Amino acid sequence: MNSPKSNEFYIGWKDGLPPRTRRLLILFITALFTFSLGITYLVVKNQKPFNNHQFELGNIQEFSGVLVYNPAPMLLTEGGIPETVSDELLLVGYGKRGALGFLQEIEEEHGQLRQRKITLRGTLIHGDGRAVLELTEKAKSLVEADEHEVFNQREISSPQPFQLEGEILDPKCYFGVMKPGEGKIHKSCAIRCISGGIPPVFRSKRSDGTFEYSLMKDTEGQDINQRILPYVAENIEISGQSQMVGDWNVLYVDMDKIRRI
Amino acid sequence: MGVSYQAILWNKSKKRYDLWMSLFIILVLAVFVLAQMTLHPSITIETLIIRATAFTAITLLHIILIIGPLCRLDSRFLPLLYNRRHLGVTMFLFALVHGLFCIIQFHTLGDTNPIASVFLSNQNYQEISEFPFQILGFLALVILLLMAATSHDFWLKNLTPRIWKGLHMAVYIAYALVVGHVALGTLQYESKPLYWVMLLGGFVVIAGLQIFTGLREVKRLRSTSEKTKDKFVKVCNFDDIEDSRAKIVTIGSENIAVFRYDGQISAVSNLCRHQLGPLGEGKIVDGCITCPWHGYQYFPHNGQSPPPFNEKLKTYEVNIRGNDVWVDPKPKPPGTFIQPAKLEGSAS
Repeated sequence: MNSPKSNEFYIGWKDGLPPRTRRLLILFITALFTFSLGITYLVVKNQKPFNNHQFELGNIQEFSGVLVYNPAPMLLTEGGIPETVSDELLLVGYGKRGALGFLQEIEEEHGQLRQRKITLRGTLIHGDGRAVLELTEKAKSLVEADEHEVFNQREISSPQPFQLEGEILDPKCYFGVMKPGEGKIHKSCAIRCISGGIPPVFRSKRSDGTFEYSLMKDTEGQDINQRILPYVAENIEISGQSQMVGDWNVLYVDMDKIRRI
Repeated sequence: MGVSYQAILWNKSKKRYDLWMSLFIILVLAVFVLAQMTLHPSITIETLIIRATAFTAITLLHIILIIGPLCRLDSRFLPLLYNRRHLGVTMFLFALVHGLFCIIQFHTLGDTNPIASVFLSNQNYQEISEFPFQILGFLALVILLLMAATSHDFWLKNLTPRIWKGLHMAVYIAYALVVGHVALGTLQYESKPLYWVMLLGGFVVIAGLQIFTGLREVKRLRSTSEKTKDKFVKVCNFDDIEDSRAKIVTIGSENIAVFRYDGQISAVSNLCRHQLGPLGEGKIVDGCITCPWHGYQYFPHNGQSPPPFNEKLKTYEVNIRGNDVWVDPKPKPPGTFIQPAKLEGSAS
C-alpha cells in the first residue's frame, strides 16, 4: 500500500475523509456508478427477447368440450378461447403435474368422463397457435358433465416416417407460464414438469423460420416422459413415425435413434 | 475494538458507507427494472426478480473483490474497505433471494423434493455445455451463507482471526463457482458475445489485480537476509522509516512491523488482532499504532490496546547501533513490555 505524496491516514471511527482521499473516492465512485449503470442497461438491452405467450394467472375461466385422453389429455372445445389458437386444449395439472392424476380423481367421484362433453374450470395458457388449460383447482376443476358419450370426430392421418431436429419442451411453461420456458436455463424446470406428467412437446423449426409443435409418444404409442428426461431442453435429432391427430402432430419416437446434436 | 457484544457499532463512516451502498443498489435496480419493463414488457415478475437479484449480487461481488487489491495499490481506497462486510452481507441477501426464487420457480410443486431436484433434475455431467449449472450456484450460495452468518466480530473473536480469515477467503471459491454458474447457465442460453466479454472481463480485472498486488506483497514480505549479530538482525537504517510510520520486515516466519516515533523504535507483530490487517501500513496516532483497516489501536512499547480494550500483540526486542535498526526475531508473549530503542543523541 502506498500513497507516497501524502501523509494522509484514514481512520474509520473518526469523522471525515482526508482531502486527497476524498477527491480520489469521489472520482472512483462517480466512475463506478456510471460504469455499473451502463453495464446494467447493456445487459438488459442485449438479452434474448421473450415470446408473447400468455399465462392468464388469476383469471379462472370455464371451458366446455369433449374430454379425450389420446394422445394426451385434451378438451376438444368449440370456441371460447382466443381465435389465434387451436380449439384443442391440452390439459395440464396444477404445479409441475400432468392432468391425468387429477382427472382420475374427478372420475372416481363423477364416473368416467372420457368422450363426454364436460365443463372444466382452469387457467388458460396460450401462444403461437397452441392453448393449454391448467387445472388450477385440481380435482375440483369439473363444473359439469353430460351423461352421454360424444363421438370423437377428429381427423387422423396415416403414419409417415419423420426425422426432425429440435428441442423437447414442457408445454405448460413454454406456452406461457415461464419466460423463458426453453433452453438451458429452463432445463431443470422442464425436466420436473415432464417427470410430473406434463406431456412432452417437440419443437422443430420449419423452413420459413416458424415453429412446429408435436406431442411425443414411443413407437408403441405409450408415454415416454421418464425415458426422454436426459434429452429435455437439449438440441437433438429424433426419428420414427408421425401422424396428425386432430390439430396436433404426434411423433412416435424411436428411442434408440435419439441423437444429441 | 471488542470489549463486549454489540450488534453493530455504528458510526458516521459506517452510516455514510451504507447510504452510498444503498444508493448504488437502488440505482442499479431501478435501471435494470425500468429497462426490462421498457425493452421486454412481457417479462414475468418472477423472472424479473430472479434476474435483477442475480445481476445485483454479481455486480456487488465484483466490487467486493476489487476493493482489497485497490487498497493495496493506494491507501486512499481504504474507506471502501472499512465497512466492506455490510457490502458482503447485502450481496449475500440478493444472492439468497435469487436462489430461493429459482428453487421455488424451477423446482417446487413437482414430483421431487425441491432441494433434491436441484441436484437430480439435470444429470448431464458429460457435456460441458449441458453441465448442471444450478449446483454451482447452490454451492456458492452455501459458502456465502457461511460467510454472512459469521461476518460479525462475535464470530471473528470466537473462531479466532486466523480461522475466520481462512473461512472468509472462501469468497474466491464462491466467485469461481459463480463464474461457472453463469458461464454454464445463462451464457449457454443468451447468444450475444457481449455477455462473455463482461464475465471474462470481470474475471480478468479481479484476477489481474489480485495477482499483481499479491506478487508485490510477496516481494515485499520476502524474508530479510541482512546480517545478524548476537540474536539481532539488522533490518534497516533509522532514517528509512518515516516518523510515526513503520517498516514491515519478514525474518524467518515472523512478520514484524518496526515503528519509529518520537525518536525511538519499537517492533510488534505486523498482524492486527482484529482481522490480521497489516499494522505496518498503519500510523502512530495519539501515541498508538493504528491499523489501516478498521482503526484498531495498540501501544507500540507493549503491543496492548489502550483500556478498556484487551487485544495484545507479540512484541520484539529492538536496538539501534549507530544508525542501524536491529530486531530480535524471537517474539515475546503478546503484551510484553519492551523498552523502545532510542537513537543516540535523541532528546526524546
